[in-house]
Amino acid sequence: MLAQIASIIAPIFLCACVGFFWGRFDKPFDSRMVTMLSLNLGIPALIFSTLTKLEVPIDAFLRIGGIYFIATLCALIFGYGFCRIFRIDPRTYVPVLAFSNAGNMGLPLSLFTFGEEGLALGICIFVISSICGLTIGPAIFSGRTSFDVVYRNPPIYGILAALLFMAAGLQPPRWLANVTEILGGMSISFMIISLGVAVSRIKVQRLARGIMLSAVKLMLGFALGVGIAESFGLIGAERGVIILVCSMPVAMHNYLFAERFDRNSSEIAGMVLISTAMAYVTLPALLWFVL
Amino acid sequence: MGMIAELSDVVLPVFLCAAIGFAWAKLKFPFNNEIVTSLVFNIGAPALILATFAKVELSPTALAELAGAALAAYAAFGVIGLAVLKFARLAPSAYLPALMFPLTGSMGLPVCLFAFGPDGLALALVFFMIGIIGIFTIGVTVAAGKFSLATLLRTPAIYAVIVTVILEITGTELPQWAFNTTDLLGDIVIPTQLIALGVALAGLKVSSMGRSVSLAALRLGMGVLVGLAVAELFGLSGTARAVVVLQSAMPVAVSSYLFAQLYKREPEEVAGMVLVSTGISFVTLPLLLMLVL
Repeated sequence: MLAQIASIIAPIFLCACVGFFWGRFDKPFDSRMVTMLSLNLGIPALIFSTLTKLEVPIDAFLRIGGIYFIATLCALIFGYGFCRIFRIDPRTYVPVLAFSNAGNMGLPLSLFTFGEEGLALGICIFVISSICGLTIGPAIFSGRTSFDVVYRNPPIYGILAALLFMAAGLQPPRWLANVTEILGGMSISFMIISLGVAVSRIKVQRLARGIMLSAVKLMLGFALGVGIAESFGLIGAERGVIILVCSMPVAMHNYLFAERFDRNSSEIAGMVLISTAMAYVTLPALLWFVL
Repeated sequence: MGMIAELSDVVLPVFLCAAIGFAWAKLKFPFNNEIVTSLVFNIGAPALILATFAKVELSPTALAELAGAALAAYAAFGVIGLAVLKFARLAPSAYLPALMFPLTGSMGLPVCLFAFGPDGLALALVFFMIGIIGIFTIGVTVAAGKFSLATLLRTPAIYAVIVTVILEITGTELPQWAFNTTDLLGDIVIPTQLIALGVALAGLKVSSMGRSVSLAALRLGMGVLVGLAVAELFGLSGTARAVVVLQSAMPVAVSSYLFAQLYKREPEEVAGMVLVSTGISFVTLPLLLMLVL
């Protein structure tokens, strides 16, 4: 069991460490390039490659995605309630409390914990999570809604293409499978490394509140994940992945939007750092719980 | 029909990824080659070596044979290249590295992977590593005019090779967590190097084509013939033979251009060789694959 958990956590932890020390030693790194490569090529390729390889039935995708969408709505409501009760700015902290790191950490954890089946579920969730995180997120931070964010999201096209193949019951030609497989493989490692680099460069401010809010995020997410899994009667990999992703640390993109819309970005960066560090400690217990 | 499909499975992914890189650069999207190279050189390549050899079951004899064949091929490239350059009265310092060291990394690795799976990749890595050692010793010596072992010792891939050899000899297996980590990190290498190839091709400044074309043709023609001869000489068959021929016949390495640029040895001519030989390769690669598949 411990060896299995180590084989799940160590790769992510060590990859993130590579990024962390890369940043610490001030080796040059270009987060914008890595983000663009991942978002425009890697993630669409990963989504296409995994979904077509696994022949995930579309209804299962719609089901698990729909369940995660409900979980996200609940997280937004609970986050809003929490902010009201403790009198902190909801426009800054609701997205931070609601959106989990379903990409950098959720995807590889789902893969390593439940294999290819877990990765497929993780990707379904990741797509919903990125749609919500990249539309509702900036809408809350900025105070306006923006539809162009949806159709300018390349992963959407990856999934649309995959859905076409799945609906037609076709396997993609080998060359397309080869291309998307290598480009998809690139994105997972790139994202974890850039997570480490970003964490190494974040200035930690207002530590106490950051620690408190990070703990709230992780506990809220876990409670929500278990609650959702129970109420929908999920079992096995579906239950595990939903709980895992809900319990992930604060999503990285929150930091980017907070910076862009000038909402306490350094504190949010600190929360990304602290919740990620906490997650590394809570992961063994979490994995033990879901496995 | 089956043959065409089989060829496109190998050639199209390589071509497409390079084309993506080319378009990426033309669209002026950010691509910092220095950072990507540094990540691949320090992290990705050593991880890929460790993970690939942990994945395959190849006998040490087969690997040693391939290393021998690779050495022989590089030596032949050196001798033939030097003779032709002397005959044509061209400076070896500018052109010999380009003739001697083909694009065994960015292009050779994915071609061998897509054609023969992990076994092909492992054998191609042996050929590639012999070339890396050659570039950092002979290549640097020829281009810079002085010999230095420091660059080689600062290459993390060398240590990955040493660890792999130790693991092979002692029959030790990588623990699962270490395998997963290196596998994950190694995944960076092939796609980023192909994209970087496209980006580099988009940024090449080419002046005169005339000499570049004949030297590019020499690289490819010599590559096929030497590859076939060495494979015959070492009695290789199957995947090993194919890998030796394919790797020998790769186009001029982009790194030769970087060297030429670094040491100011006719970089624009070498750029022309890279561009022309890579362009020809995209056409001749299917033929070459038909020859060895």
